[in-house]
Amino acid sequence: MMEPQAMPTAEIPTETPILKRRLAERDERFARTGAYVDELGLWDEDPIRFELLYTKLSQVVANAHEVARLVSASPMTRELGELIFGLYTPEGDAVCLSHGLIVHVHTISRMIKWMIANDYEQTMGFAPGDLYFNNDPHIGGAHALDQMIVTPIYAGEELIGWSAGLTHVPEVGATAPGGFDSFFTTRFHEGLYLPCVKIGSGDELRPDMEILVERSTRTPVYWLTDNRAKVTGALMIRDAVLELTEEFGVDYFKRAGEEFIEDSLRAAKRKIASVLHPGTYREVAWRGSPIPGSERMLHAPVEITVREDGSVHLSFDGLSSNFWQPFQGSLSCLEGLVMNGLIQHVLYDSKHNEGTLLAATMEVPLGSCCNPDSILYPTTLWGPAYGAGLAVGQALSRAYYAQGYREEVHATSALSSGYTAGGIDQYGRSFGAHNMEFGAAGMPATAVHDGLDTSGVEFNPEGDMGDAEIWEQMLPSIYLAREMRIDGGGAGRFRGGNGIQSVYMLANTSEIEVGSFGSVPIYPSPGLMGGYPAATLYMWTGKDTNLRALIDAGEPVPAGEGDDPAEPEFRRLVDGEWKVHHGSNKATEPMAPDDMFTAVSGDGGGFGDSLDRAPEAVAGDVREGRTSRRAAREEYCVALDDSGELDQPATEQLRAARRRERLAEAVPADEYRRAARERLVDGRVSAPVRRMYNDLLENNEKFAARMHEFWDVDEQFRVPGGDGEASR
Amino acid sequence: MSEHPRELIRDLLSGQISPADLQAVQRAPKDPGRRETVISLERERVAFDEPILVCLQEALYVVELQGGERVTKCRCGHDFGDWRRNWKEAAAIVEREGESAYFPGPRAADPEWMVLREFYCPGCATRLDVEVVPPGYPFIHNFEPLLPGTAAGEGG
Repeated sequence: MMEPQAMPTAEIPTETPILKRRLAERDERFARTGAYVDELGLWDEDPIRFELLYTKLSQVVANAHEVARLVSASPMTRELGELIFGLYTPEGDAVCLSHGLIVHVHTISRMIKWMIANDYEQTMGFAPGDLYFNNDPHIGGAHALDQMIVTPIYAGEELIGWSAGLTHVPEVGATAPGGFDSFFTTRFHEGLYLPCVKIGSGDELRPDMEILVERSTRTPVYWLTDNRAKVTGALMIRDAVLELTEEFGVDYFKRAGEEFIEDSLRAAKRKIASVLHPGTYREVAWRGSPIPGSERMLHAPVEITVREDGSVHLSFDGLSSNFWQPFQGSLSCLEGLVMNGLIQHVLYDSKHNEGTLLAATMEVPLGSCCNPDSILYPTTLWGPAYGAGLAVGQALSRAYYAQGYREEVHATSALSSGYTAGGIDQYGRSFGAHNMEFGAAGMPATAVHDGLDTSGVEFNPEGDMGDAEIWEQMLPSIYLAREMRIDGGGAGRFRGGNGIQSVYMLANTSEIEVGSFGSVPIYPSPGLMGGYPAATLYMWTGKDTNLRALIDAGEPVPAGEGDDPAEPEFRRLVDGEWKVHHGSNKATEPMAPDDMFTAVSGDGGGFGDSLDRAPEAVAGDVREGRTSRRAAREEYCVALDDSGELDQPATEQLRAARRRERLAEAVPADEYRRAARERLVDGRVSAPVRRMYNDLLENNEKFAARMHEFWDVDEQFRVPGGDGEASR
Repeated sequence: MSEHPRELIRDLLSGQISPADLQAVQRAPKDPGRRETVISLERERVAFDEPILVCLQEALYVVELQGGERVTKCRCGHDFGDWRRNWKEAAAIVEREGESAYFPGPRAADPEWMVLREFYCPGCATRLDVEVVPPGYPFIHNFEPLLPGTAAGEGG
């Protein structure tokens, strides 16, 4: 049996409680050696036994995930699989995790470490059967909707680890039903927060905590049954671990947990050094805050340095500053997204745990929209963190491309969208919830094939759209259509996957408001290497419609958008007050039965020049309703006859003509820069863009230096306009 | 970790690879000689003769000229100049605002927030990159490779 390695204790006071001491020793050891543990003794001794334990633990957490899913009554959990389970070391490092919402492996880790750092060991006194709950993203998580429960695992008197589960809950008692709203300006709008609260002991949930949730949220059934799901899974893991310690021995189990992490760290460095081309990579993601009077573009850049030794550094220097708006991510959220990206794009074939994240170093400015300097800032819509996380995947794709591994290259994944609603439901109850069928967004194009249509989202690769009938049970809205969003994905040599678009009518409600969550009117998912971005995300609402009369008369009702997004079919067929909402995440004005609305899931970015796309592929897409005839002709320059057959000579002529047009239309870079500089210096940009630049010119040295150099402006330069407005 | 047949990698680059073969490539351990195989295959596809040092991105390469000078070249042979400079500074540019053929009606970004900045090769009109940025944003320098045999930081 291996003896635990000697640990340095020189700088840690001897009266420090056990877990806090171990956490400090772990941090000090890693900072000093760059290793989690210095050797893989158990693996050296008997690799089969070592891997056997890991495989058994993987089965344990996967079992917990699947059983918990069936315990919950929330469609988020049951239908979409918005959950994850994991096993952690006593210090809170992830050892083994289930499939599902892998972004949250690290946010749970942050929760455990926060309790340790804040002396819970002394003040609360951990005991077997304790159930701790957290949904405070400034501790660990993305927003109040992400809720985690952890329980300690004791072997006799000794705490040997933690088991944990997390689900995404669709209603938390925020000022807007469903908990998503782009007009939240403080934490106090976001609903009920329980920051690392003990909600049970002796494996039982406290009834008074249930009453708190019942009286603080609109639809408490989701939160409360999700609690049961998480407790079920966490206790399953705990009990299975205790059985395994009987089989393998407690000391072996403890040491193996540490070695699993070191094994992942070593595997990560090896793989990065072999598959990613060394160099510096830069991408920029954008989101926007629509708060009236302070609308602002949000800048989320990433610079990744891949070194020859397999180490990776991610700098998020240049993030927009935090301010009173909800498009902000917590630090734990961004860290979780980086881990999510590394696992999915590079380290998918090793053990997924803390070692994955330890392979990279990160720099995230304090006071930015991904590392707020006050817990009072809202974080409901963590778009900049998600955007930056997706940009990591795109940057890594360039590194794969240069190394020749084209099968790993992809454009940017979809920014997910959907709708949120609240009011009185079809059962006469007060409700708040959101529909998350955006689990089936379009995937990005790769360098070797098209993005998959209506398939998944990057933050939850296990995600699903769920059955329409289940959503109809949950919300007082009926599907008129659920279709693939034609041309939604970015065009290119390989096109981005199309997401889904649904058309709904409201029914059986006496009071309801509906809103979208997505983005301001920007292209949310860029293309790669010449590919176009995915389309913008928006919602149509139609009020005071004649839909009921059409149905009663047996007239046609809309079956989707049709092939002209500028004049959609639902608007052509149904009279009413139609309005398109770009980026208004706020629940809209009150609506009524027979009113209509739409939602989109999001689409993937395209790859490469559209004129390099095989004309046969375009013809096939038109036949299958994935690409419109308009896009085939105007973007891909592919000529099809009336029956959809490809006209190759005419296609070649169209493409040759387009190349000539491009060069006639384009201007040399120098000329472009002169005109663009003049526009910027004259202040001929919108207020949201001006505010973004001036915040960064004022508060970010690196970005300011780039602006000074690129545009040849002096250090005092600010974009003119908006006299007297605060830069933060 | 065995190498894949050269023909298979050729099909991978051209997009002709079958789904079954693609899945096999994705599942296999990464072949350590891939970079060299891809560079040799790319040399067959480009319209210039100089050796390729790095496949920078779709249609762009860092190449070494006869005198030892290193430049970025398009597949058509157009020379974008010194490899350490952002090639976009020598591209032909179209900035597109609002609705367009591929982004009709509400599918287009509001030009108050964002524009499409399209970079073309001045030689062959290949669309090399599309930035989605607010007006006034500096060109993004996406990739500064560390070339084999050069010191870190030489890439700019």
